[in-house]
Amino acid sequence: MTTHTETPEAAPIVELIGVTKDYPLGKLTVPALRGIDLAIARGDFIAIAGPSGSGKTTLLNLVGCVDVPTAGAVRIGGQTTGELKETQLTSLRLHKLGFIFQTFNLVGVLNVFQNIELPLLLQGGLSKTERERRVAEMIEKVDLTPQTRQRPNELSGGQRQRVAIARALVTRPAIVMADEPTANLDSGTGGAIIELMKEINRVDHTTFIFSTHDAHVMSHARRLVELVDGRIVSDRAPDRQAQPEGA
Amino acid sequence: MRGTGILFRMALRSLASHKVKSLIVGSIMLFGTALVVVGTALLDSVEAGMQQSITKSLSGDLQMYDSEAKDDLALFGGMAMGADDYGEVPDFARVQTVVEAVPGVEAVVPMGIGLATMSRGSELDRTLDALRQAARAGTIAGEQGQALVARLERLIDLLRTELINSRALLQDTTEVDAQIASIERARGDAFWAEFAADPVAALDFLDSKVAPAGGEGLLYYLRYLGTDLDQFARYFDRFRIVEGEPVPTGHRGLLINQRFADSQLKLKVARLLDDIHDAMTQNGARIATDPALTAKARQVASLYGAISLMLSPEDAHATETELRRALGITDGTLDTLLEALLTVDDANFAERYALFYDLIGPRITLYPYRVGDVVTLRAWTRRGYMKSVNVKVYGTFKFEGLERSELSGAANLVDLMTFRDLYGQMTAAQEEELRAIREEVGLEHVGRADAEAAFFGGDADSQVTGAEAFGTFDEMHPPTSDERSDERPSEAARRTITDETFTREQMLDGVVLNAAVILDRDAQGGTGDIEVARVRVQAAVDAAGLKLKVVDWRAASGIIGQFVLVVRGVLILAIGIIFIVALVIINNSMLMATLERVREIGTLRAIGAQRSFVQAMVMIETLVLGLLSGTAGAGLGAGIITWMGHVGLPATSDILVFLFSGPRLRPTFGASHLLIALVVILIVSLISTWYPARIATRVQPVEAMGDA
Repeated sequence: MTTHTETPEAAPIVELIGVTKDYPLGKLTVPALRGIDLAIARGDFIAIAGPSGSGKTTLLNLVGCVDVPTAGAVRIGGQTTGELKETQLTSLRLHKLGFIFQTFNLVGVLNVFQNIELPLLLQGGLSKTERERRVAEMIEKVDLTPQTRQRPNELSGGQRQRVAIARALVTRPAIVMADEPTANLDSGTGGAIIELMKEINRVDHTTFIFSTHDAHVMSHARRLVELVDGRIVSDRAPDRQAQPEGA
Repeated sequence: MRGTGILFRMALRSLASHKVKSLIVGSIMLFGTALVVVGTALLDSVEAGMQQSITKSLSGDLQMYDSEAKDDLALFGGMAMGADDYGEVPDFARVQTVVEAVPGVEAVVPMGIGLATMSRGSELDRTLDALRQAARAGTIAGEQGQALVARLERLIDLLRTELINSRALLQDTTEVDAQIASIERARGDAFWAEFAADPVAALDFLDSKVAPAGGEGLLYYLRYLGTDLDQFARYFDRFRIVEGEPVPTGHRGLLINQRFADSQLKLKVARLLDDIHDAMTQNGARIATDPALTAKARQVASLYGAISLMLSPEDAHATETELRRALGITDGTLDTLLEALLTVDDANFAERYALFYDLIGPRITLYPYRVGDVVTLRAWTRRGYMKSVNVKVYGTFKFEGLERSELSGAANLVDLMTFRDLYGQMTAAQEEELRAIREEVGLEHVGRADAEAAFFGGDADSQVTGAEAFGTFDEMHPPTSDERSDERPSEAARRTITDETFTREQMLDGVVLNAAVILDRDAQGGTGDIEVARVRVQAAVDAAGLKLKVVDWRAASGIIGQFVLVVRGVLILAIGIIFIVALVIINNSMLMATLERVREIGTLRAIGAQRSFVQAMVMIETLVLGLLSGTAGAGLGAGIITWMGHVGLPATSDILVFLFSGPRLRPTFGASHLLIALVVILIVSLISTWYPARIATRVQPVEAMGDA
């Protein structure tokens, strides 16, 4: 189950309705998100921007189903995450979501091929041949064929992130969450990766939601949502001539 | 589970990339597994050895005894040192019929354990006996007779010295004064003139007035097992005659355990020399450095007097000449020569030991009996009076492979009829007569002891009972010195006693204390088989209404049977402690590893791995390590046992000889030992990883997010 067809084009694939998220800090409660309403259409390519502590990561966590809101509702493909059991949330992540992490987060003891194969193994259902074909295809897409049998510690930072992206995309998820995906890549590779993401977005209608500081990356987005202090301050199409912000 | 292949791959990779941790934990697991294999295999081998020792020497596969017995059967000795009450099995013939009909049962061997004293009279008694025979044969005037007279005079002199010494310590000297007076009379010329004229009368005087002062001679406590000696020889494979012959079918007789003879009955000086010899040759001990041996060597040297007393005049002369030559001493008496011979140290021991057995051994009585002798056994019957039986010593025996074991050496064998006499079984006729006596004396209430005293007491003429036909001598109380001459049968009487025979029916029809059940050879072996047979035999005796308890060899053997259980307990404890330590170490190192992998686990959870996957990932890693090092450990253990089986473990003490069923244990192992060890190590792996795995499952996917 790698594509998503039930949801009508018109209906949003991700819906946040009055979402509040508080984190306890000792006896205090720190609000991270304060009443977010956001609808993301299927096949969108959306960037979340904002200064540190603005709630970008919290928002990604809620949409990525690794956390549930304190109040309000997060709906993914029509399912309200707060109503799901933990195993169901996990299953949702496995089948509908892909993750790209800022720090790559590869499994150190597995090689490139095995790291990319891992989500397919967790899903099950594919034959070995099909699985290998899909992994090889992904490796080729991220241009790591010569490194297929290498371990993460033998790769450069850029190569590692490409492995991570391949791993996120190999299951052909409906939504890919990317937390600062190009922060550790040189601009050339970053651009190539963004192009790759756009290509998948175009062909498979995979929804991409990514946080970024990189104005160049933002400029590739179809929609840019900016957060400040847990609230959406702007929601617009990005400025195509935007310059990179200071990191 | 999905992704099992990747789990194993991850486990192997993880183990390989944490080499030091894997090596430490793996070594502990390897050592633990090897210990389990070696420990259990050794213990099972010891148990099998012990089973051989016990079943093939005394117990058989099962034992039956009175279900109402006060004490538990203890064939190899219990707490009460022979005074245990095992109840009784009144009708053995019926038991045998019932139990031998049970499928799988080969034979039922009757038994009865008891404790008796054995005596052959003192040196003085024996000299007087010999003189009486010489008088009867008219050979007193001959050289042999005169040698006996000379020995008698010497013994009387010694006895006089002894009595005078003891008189000084006594408050009431009436008795000892009378004895000394008799001895003074025996030392006078007038007495010897009488002796020459009428030796029998003079011997009677010495027997009744002088010999009692010389005491009983040495009394030996003898643990005996009364049984069907033919059946016993057939079904107890370890039984071997050492000297003499088996007791002929239908005859009464005593077979002395060679080990018992060597360690208890043998002349003290020879026993001490043997002890020193064994300690030096077998254990490499030295007289100079081993305090126990030093003490024994000192004791040996002090015992020369006992030897010179036993030598006949001509032997004394020959010994003196030979010792002078061998020791190169020109002056001194025989006593000083003997003392010199017995003054041993590490340098001269081997030579002196050989000299003792070459020159002295053949001339003295090393054992208080000779094969063919008739000895007197005395025992308290269960009804509380003392009974004496004279029985011929047909020979000595051993239990093959257990020659050095005190445990199996503790039992001597007598025929079942002798056992019954010592046990004090009353025949139907005796019971009837006892009832008649009760009525005759007109007492409404006769105490058991009194009634039996009335029955068994009195003069010899009243003892016209079945028991007496087999030559028993009943007494109502322990012998006092005044009665000694009466209770000692004459040589003629001894011959008639031991010539009496009995039929198989007579032997089987009567009381026994317990019985050994021998199972079919092919049905034997596993504890399970024996337990099945035990239940079957118990059911059969219950159905027949026999009040019998059926126990397996282990239960029947007494404390020793529990030995392996105790050792097994200790082993399990030791293994348990090692594995608890292993558990803590594995737990700790896995916990550390888990904490180091929080981000990785969070990532796995984020990309869709369920908690169960994470749990399996942590546990499989330890399981794989457990399996690998467990297999290696089992291999190592198997290697150690194979090596031990090849060289054999020496039994360095008597109890080990018994437990090993021979001088060396050659342990073996089976698939079960390896399997148990692997299962144990895998269980330990699982338990030790339980907590780290639980911690791992609690890692939230959000841990993967954000900056490192």
